[in-house]
Amino acid sequence: MSGDVHVAIERDADIVTARQRGRELAREVGFSGTEQTLITLAISEIARNIVSYARRGGMTLTRVQDAGRSGISIVARDEGPGIPDIELAMRDGYSTGKSLGVGLPGSRRVVDEFVLTSTVGVGTTITMKKWLR
Amino acid sequence: MQQGRSQALVHEMGLDEANIDRRMKAVGFEPSDLPNIEAIKDAVVAHVDDYNKTFFDHLSRLEEARPLLTSVALLDRAKQLKRAHIVAMVGGDYGLLYAEQRLELASLYAAAGLDTRAFLGAFHHLLKHIGVDLMKQPERASLERFESFMSLKKVAFFDIALIVDVLVFERERVIRQQQEAIRELSTPVLQVRNRMLLLPIIGIIDTLRARLITESLLSSVRQNRAKVVVMDVTGVATIDSKVANHILQTVTAARLMGAEVIVTGLSADVAQSLAAIGIDLSKLNTVGDLQGGMEEAEQILGYRVLQASAVAPTAPLAS
Repeated sequence: MSGDVHVAIERDADIVTARQRGRELAREVGFSGTEQTLITLAISEIARNIVSYARRGGMTLTRVQDAGRSGISIVARDEGPGIPDIELAMRDGYSTGKSLGVGLPGSRRVVDEFVLTSTVGVGTTITMKKWLR
Repeated sequence: MQQGRSQALVHEMGLDEANIDRRMKAVGFEPSDLPNIEAIKDAVVAHVDDYNKTFFDHLSRLEEARPLLTSVALLDRAKQLKRAHIVAMVGGDYGLLYAEQRLELASLYAAAGLDTRAFLGAFHHLLKHIGVDLMKQPERASLERFESFMSLKKVAFFDIALIVDVLVFERERVIRQQQEAIRELSTPVLQVRNRMLLLPIIGIIDTLRARLITESLLSSVRQNRAKVVVMDVTGVATIDSKVANHILQTVTAARLMGAEVIVTGLSADVAQSLAAIGIDLSKLNTVGDLQGGMEEAEQILGYRVLQASAVAPTAPLAS
């Protein structure tokens, strides 16, 4: 069993690293090509949010096991400004930046579990899980 | 040559008064250190040539220092600068000019390819000699002598930090230049036919590269009076919302200039995941593969491509 993979997220290049590590781990767990791409995409979106809005944070990728099923867990943490209105941020097409506004809602759509906690002025933590079918 | 280089370095490394203050703070240098150094100034300056010799003698025993020692011109200049350095170390003025002089010596080390270990070893050796001499001063209390030496050491660590930064900075310069070269090479815009361009995109699209791609495409569209552009993204492994946004913007800009963009090479995985995450690329004119895209582009331009053998000669050739 492989251990946790931790990636510090600060600049564009770190997004690529997180993506590559995520794809490797997803492949090891046994996800199909398309599912690997989906996981990579979710990692990419969340990591981009850290670079764009929080500037600095980290991502931990873990292989998880629960009741006989295995999957991947992605935990992203930052000490950025936090999200004042989570419901609004999760809405399709909403963006405070100049992006397409699909990052958060899109990522939630492609994983099985998605938990976002955020405190203004303290930071944001996003936990995503995807299970092998 | 090194002097001009060091002035450029001051600028590139963002050295200013505030930066130097932070560096001084990092080594714990305080105004109270100044009188400590003043107290040993004359003793150090009196032996500056011995100390300088000590430094270079140590280097001459190291294999790693050979590149510097074999160039007479560089070595002479290094000896001059090092002598000035030792005098300045006890000079009491550690501002921008002081830092700039350290950079000059550091960039000379970098140009000579001097190893960091060799430099650190020789510098430590030099400090040891100064320390031993100071401890022999009989007229001052031993604690005072020790405090003077510790104040001098703060200056020394300030210098080391600067010089190591320059050595690293110069080494990374090569990497930066290579990255730029790769960037330039990686966004070719090729003319395939009259008024038809091909833009193959390979690798990772970050914000800077996306801008370069857009710029080089738009200038090529103008230069070649292009009507159709085939943008092939087969070589892009991950298209997330930001990359998709870049592609959309490039396509929109090209359209404003009168060129239609056909995007080819979206893999099944990428297409499926873009749809799942909710990135709408339906505004794009997409064609499965590069060949299909080229064919469509030719159609738009009114070309009809025929295989030579399929064209029957209209009249038998005269023998």
